[in-house]
Amino acid sequence: MISRRTSLLLIAPALVLMAVLFLTPLGYSLIWAFREEEAGRWGIGNFTKAWAFYSADILFSLVIVTLSAALIGALSIAIAGYLTLGRSPRAVAVLRWLYRWPLFIPFVVAAQVMRTFLAKNGMMNNALVEMGLLTPFQTASYLDWRGIVITFVWKQTPFVTLLLAGAMASLDRSMIESAQNLGAKRLRILFGIVVPQVAQTLMVGLILSYVMMMSVLSVPMMINAQQPTMLTVDMAWRINAYGDYGVANALGFIAYLMTACVAWGYLRKELRDRTGEA
Amino acid sequence: MMQQAVQAHAPAEGPAPLGAAISLKDLHLGYDRTDVIAGLSLDVQAGEFIALLGASGCGKTTLLRALAGFVPVRQGQILLDGTDLSHTPPEARGMAMMFQSYALWPHMTVAQNIGYGLKLRGQSRAQIAARVADIAGLVGLGDLTGRRIAALSGGQKQRVALARALAVDPPVLLLDEPLSNLDAGTRGTMRHEIRALQQRLGLTTILVTHDRQEAMSMADRVVILNRGRIAQIGTPEEVYHRPADSYVARFMGATNTLPVDLGGGEELILSLPDGARARLPRAALHVPQTVAPGPAELIFRSDAVELGEVNGAGQGGAGPNSAGLTLRGRVAQHSYLGSVYRHEIRIGALRLMADAARKMPIGADVDACIPATALSLFPARSQTAVTGSKAAAPVAHPL
Repeated sequence: MISRRTSLLLIAPALVLMAVLFLTPLGYSLIWAFREEEAGRWGIGNFTKAWAFYSADILFSLVIVTLSAALIGALSIAIAGYLTLGRSPRAVAVLRWLYRWPLFIPFVVAAQVMRTFLAKNGMMNNALVEMGLLTPFQTASYLDWRGIVITFVWKQTPFVTLLLAGAMASLDRSMIESAQNLGAKRLRILFGIVVPQVAQTLMVGLILSYVMMMSVLSVPMMINAQQPTMLTVDMAWRINAYGDYGVANALGFIAYLMTACVAWGYLRKELRDRTGEA
Repeated sequence: MMQQAVQAHAPAEGPAPLGAAISLKDLHLGYDRTDVIAGLSLDVQAGEFIALLGASGCGKTTLLRALAGFVPVRQGQILLDGTDLSHTPPEARGMAMMFQSYALWPHMTVAQNIGYGLKLRGQSRAQIAARVADIAGLVGLGDLTGRRIAALSGGQKQRVALARALAVDPPVLLLDEPLSNLDAGTRGTMRHEIRALQQRLGLTTILVTHDRQEAMSMADRVVILNRGRIAQIGTPEEVYHRPADSYVARFMGATNTLPVDLGGGEELILSLPDGARARLPRAALHVPQTVAPGPAELIFRSDAVELGEVNGAGQGGAGPNSAGLTLRGRVAQHSYLGSVYRHEIRIGALRLMADAARKMPIGADVDACIPATALSLFPARSQTAVTGSKAAAPVAHPL
């Protein structure tokens, strides 16, 4: 048996690392968001400035990330659902092999790929024109908010699907069979029996994706070079172009609040479920 | 353990049975390249209670799952009241199955679990609530319908699973080892309750079990499966007292095997392993298969043996007896089973199990008498290709 003091000593290096490398910079940037350098005082000046300049971007970020998360949720349920309930072994095997690929591609590469794919003269439009579905005059560039959403969904769906398919596979198979036995079709089983039992995992996957998408700089920078854009681009711009850490910190604080809302909703639900079970 | 086998088929009295007749014709089932069930045919009458009994791996669960549609039929037919269902998907078969693990949905209440099948059938909320209350009362769940599944005991879960299966008025009820997860006391009660419900509703019921007592106490007819084939079909009394082969005899609890050398005609002359000879009238023994002169097996239950202590210096070894066999041996071990003591008797290289109300001391010399009517004679195992070396509890064997 290890004594209490020894065990504290054992985790001390990890704790120190955590404090020095993570908590200190975080706390520092949160505090310095309230420092007005030019006026030399503390206050909410950075926030009013951030809101005045970037309120549209804050809303834009929120809409993009929420929409992407919703699409990721829907697609991952569809894919994981088919992997669990699909009847053609060959189709299931192919899908299982295919869906993970985007997991191994970094965001910056994904963005680059999407640039060549979604541009006005990109592969997607060329293909549609070749097939005769569009004329060259009708083609439009998707390199705007839609491009960001498509890239996020393409990149993050495999991640959530991976978690979800694992959770579905670990469900007792007879739960599905008993519903089938009573006459339920597959779609009904998916939404009535399977998804409610993996809802926790889906929530976790979506929250992790939400946080991830909030923090990606490369995708909005490369795909959407116009206004409005996402908060990460604004933060980079404030720092690189103006050396304005105050507003950048304020924007970071706002981004942090946006993710904290989601995390809080999740924790509350988790707590309610726990107390409900006890 | 007496059965209502005969009464159950009397169609005159009571309400018309809900159940449907099932007919299996030359059924082949399997996984990958091996057939688990090969060429099985079976007719089940409407309202009949059938138990599929066998050791693990004999194909009984595969057969049940094929009836429910979860195992594809390779060849043959599954007919329900004359309609071929062998290629119908599971959701369209209408046979309600009760799973071994119960397979209740933890995110729903008891009432939602029971009412799920009715919801699928598009019934109104009021209809569902009424039916759920009915069924919950029927299986003895009464006021538990608002509970979560996690808050139920094993026995209660079992009742919910049964109620969920019964709620949709299925023509056939499939039970996959329904009682194996319950403690002994609850199991006894549930056996009785399920049987009573089945009788009351007139459901055609197929039970899969490896417990011979469960099969005999619940079913009208018992089907004993051995390596994917039917070893015997019969009423519980028939399979118990008149086993068709040595596999069935062993599976139904006849654990003692005595290798003999057979001679004679109507009067059998048995050469016992210790060299002694016994003469028994062939008509007194149960001889279901043709047994050629030569090596054979006598199989009998441990409760058929009467043990008597040898006083003083009697005659040595085994001897003939007009009413049966008498074998002399020594008590090697005993254990208490509750109502009787089970003794392990060593007779030369052989070991036999014998039950007696009185405990014999270890090391005592005893006479084991087996009446001729309790003996079943089968060809020796080497002569019969498929007799099931995996029988339930082969205890007596040469050392």
